[in-house]
Amino acid sequence: MIHNNSNNGMMSSSSSSSSNPNLSSNNNSQQSPSGLKTYFKTPEGRYKLQFEKTHPAGLLHYAHGKAVTQVTITHLKEKLAQLPPTPTASSSTSGVRLAAARLLGGSNGSRSLSSFVGGNGTSSKSSFTGSYGRLGNTGAVSSTSGSPGISNYDGKGTYLIFNVGDTVYVSDFNSQDKDPIKMINFSNSNPVCHAFDPEAKDGHDLIIGLNSGDVYSVSLRQQLQDVGKKLVGAQHYNKDGSEFGSTIPNQVVEIYRLMENGIQPIVSGRDRYIRRFKEMKTDHIGELVCRCTSVSWVPEGDGNFIVAHSDGNLYVYEKSKDGTGDSSFPVIKDQAQFSVSHARSSKSNPIARWHICQGAINGASFSADGTYMATVGRDGYLRVFDYSKEQLICGGKSYYGALLCCAWSMDGKYILTGGEDDLVQVWSMDDRKVVAWGEGHGSWVSGVAFDSYWSPPSSDGSTENNVYRFGSVGQDTQMLLWDLAMDDIVVPLRRCPPGGSPTYSTGSQSSHWDNISPLGTLQPAPSMRDVPKLSPLVAHRVDNEPLSGMIFTQESVLTACREGHVKIWTRPGYGETQPSTSESVIPTISRDKPPSSAKVGSSGYKQVLIGL
Amino acid sequence: MQISSQKKKTGVIAPKRFVQRVKKQNELFRSYMHQDAHEFLNFLLNELVDILEKESQVPKSSSETSSPSEKIVNGLKNVLANGVHKEPLVTWVHKNFQGILTNETRCLRCETVTARDETFLDLSLDIEQNSSITSCLKNFSSTETLNAEDKFFCDKCCSLQEAQKRMKIKKPPHILVIHLKRFKYIEQLGRYKKLSYRVVFPLELKLSNTVEDADSEYSLFAVVVHVGSGPNHGHYVSLVKSHNHWLFFDDENVEMIDESAVQTFFGSSQEYSSNTDHGYILFYESIAPTSIKS
Repeated sequence: MIHNNSNNGMMSSSSSSSSNPNLSSNNNSQQSPSGLKTYFKTPEGRYKLQFEKTHPAGLLHYAHGKAVTQVTITHLKEKLAQLPPTPTASSSTSGVRLAAARLLGGSNGSRSLSSFVGGNGTSSKSSFTGSYGRLGNTGAVSSTSGSPGISNYDGKGTYLIFNVGDTVYVSDFNSQDKDPIKMINFSNSNPVCHAFDPEAKDGHDLIIGLNSGDVYSVSLRQQLQDVGKKLVGAQHYNKDGSEFGSTIPNQVVEIYRLMENGIQPIVSGRDRYIRRFKEMKTDHIGELVCRCTSVSWVPEGDGNFIVAHSDGNLYVYEKSKDGTGDSSFPVIKDQAQFSVSHARSSKSNPIARWHICQGAINGASFSADGTYMATVGRDGYLRVFDYSKEQLICGGKSYYGALLCCAWSMDGKYILTGGEDDLVQVWSMDDRKVVAWGEGHGSWVSGVAFDSYWSPPSSDGSTENNVYRFGSVGQDTQMLLWDLAMDDIVVPLRRCPPGGSPTYSTGSQSSHWDNISPLGTLQPAPSMRDVPKLSPLVAHRVDNEPLSGMIFTQESVLTACREGHVKIWTRPGYGETQPSTSESVIPTISRDKPPSSAKVGSSGYKQVLIGL
Repeated sequence: MQISSQKKKTGVIAPKRFVQRVKKQNELFRSYMHQDAHEFLNFLLNELVDILEKESQVPKSSSETSSPSEKIVNGLKNVLANGVHKEPLVTWVHKNFQGILTNETRCLRCETVTARDETFLDLSLDIEQNSSITSCLKNFSSTETLNAEDKFFCDKCCSLQEAQKRMKIKKPPHILVIHLKRFKYIEQLGRYKKLSYRVVFPLELKLSNTVEDADSEYSLFAVVVHVGSGPNHGHYVSLVKSHNHWLFFDDENVEMIDESAVQTFFGSSQEYSSNTDHGYILFYESIAPTSIKS
């Protein structure tokens, strides 16, 4: 009863999820041995746990906090059966990239070259087929699991990609099999973020960012066709990871380079920073170098992608372009100022550096049409940029603490953020301010997403456009679902909220709420009493481990925990019959419905076009 | 190191001399027995207050003026002169660490709210698995209903009544010390147990359970970490933020660590884990400029 200013008649300040009738009324008949329920109830019906995906048990018990599992959902279309476009056809659309792809093939050795070209070029189709036959045979012998993905020769299907420890796993989304069909091991550092682009015009559709700062782009299909445990046919970016280190002392960067080349440098024990560095394991180096925090393809971005780092920088890369030119950028004069620099050399990859903030960027997410990019960071600020104009549009600070994740609504009107203040924040692009705080998590909010497949009950058609369903997951092991009815919230905000004391309308606060802030400015943290509160519609304890992300698909909700367990909860009315083909799970997206796939993880919602 | 060069300027005492003095002050610390860091903090702060009060009384009784004591208590002015003479001395310990809690009890019959203030030097919070400090603070201030055996004597009704009780922070301290109750007596076991729960603590914190919705903001600057799986033994290490860098103190070893390493001390979401380094006492400093008031 601290905050009586909830304007929509919902309970306010309900930190205890158990007060939710949807939970307390459940019987215990469907509990799993761990005490976790295998379903949850919503107004539209019951969501049931259908599949679980995880990594081979007991394989790893890595130090927690080092690599939090994130999940990306991917769809590979039937592509290899039909011949890909001829080189002339694709060069007419993107000649630069084709050249780059050839360059890549040449630079990566014959093994990956044949594989790469085989997967993409018509000219070497016969060599590919031969290669496949060989791989298929060995795969059948040495396969560690059911391997439906490998046996499916063109790799067509829907896959989950998730990272655990030093490994990226690929699971067949439609298989009951708990175990992954593919593991890719990274010996040098932990993979921490990934993104998939199903519309990729040439082979590379998957980007993976590492704790060391290294970035790879690969073809997912090619990984599935390979039986090894290493990345194949990869393009490597930001090779030494520390190349752009602006916060690391120079001598440390030098030592790192020496050590990477197998030279043990002689350093005096006088400098504790260096001594500490020498004692560190490889994984810890990621803390000193600028680890990747989030990767994303630029929507309609012609193969460009962005990589956010822990030093507050975000780099723009061109896929499959070798960074042979001078990749250095001017020294950042003012760490606190936003600045964009373009590479001095046209041969450079990355092609641009965005210095966004001091401290880590924890997540970056594009609006569905690619117009805007939102970032959240250690400094607690949400920032929204016009991506092509490279301009800061708006943004604001959390109640307190870092923001960990962000996600766009399908129409680009709202952004969700979650962070260390345990709040789910709803940011309005029209108002350029926070319009609601969701209270309900008992710990940090690690993943947020709008449910683009949900439609409000059709009882009142007029308000339909103003109701949103979204979800959040937290380190409290809970998944919460929320309904956001903007009609109920926005209107009372213009006035003094009920329960607000007479001291409410003092200078800064009222100006914060009554005026739209000028373009390009960041708002300070709002006061607790100023922001309307939402309460969750559903609270469901998903796991015994803190959760790291969620994804909505047409048929299900996916949740992931930090330690690499993914659960697939089917929506009411789905999942009664087992999907026989992958198509049954692939959402068909009409043009007016936005692209809807997503990425689980602290970097939040990543749009992935599915099966157009 | 930076610290050694700063010692003289800020008047820091060498750890060896500090330990010697503590041992001299209390024989409990002369043995090799394991002590609780929170109990020690309480002892230290209370002992400091005692010493400061004694020091201030000596000149007072001899000269009958309060001016010498004012210097000793760090620039405190007029409070003693204007206040009742019985009022306890406000030392630098109080100025830094003391906050005021108010215990609001609302009689469910007559709706009268009785508020009782109490001072605190730290907040001891019950913890839950996979929770945050924010949520522990919320539980600390959550409304509790007094009924059945535990009714409240309402002065207005002159009888025992059902009532609702809640704790609010009336005056947030300049330095907020949060003690996580990781050592809990388990009745079924008949002994204490260490709770290794994962309790996340943000680097910035606001108190929202205050009387005036002040939203005072704090910044984490030190963590006392208990290393070990049991309640009776273990090891303490600490993390201290100094000049924008986090330092890790383990006996005579001091190392610089990355800010992101702080999260390795949150605790474990599994009961039996190899990770036994758990944040135990958190020190937050107010970053609001107005909060330093006597």
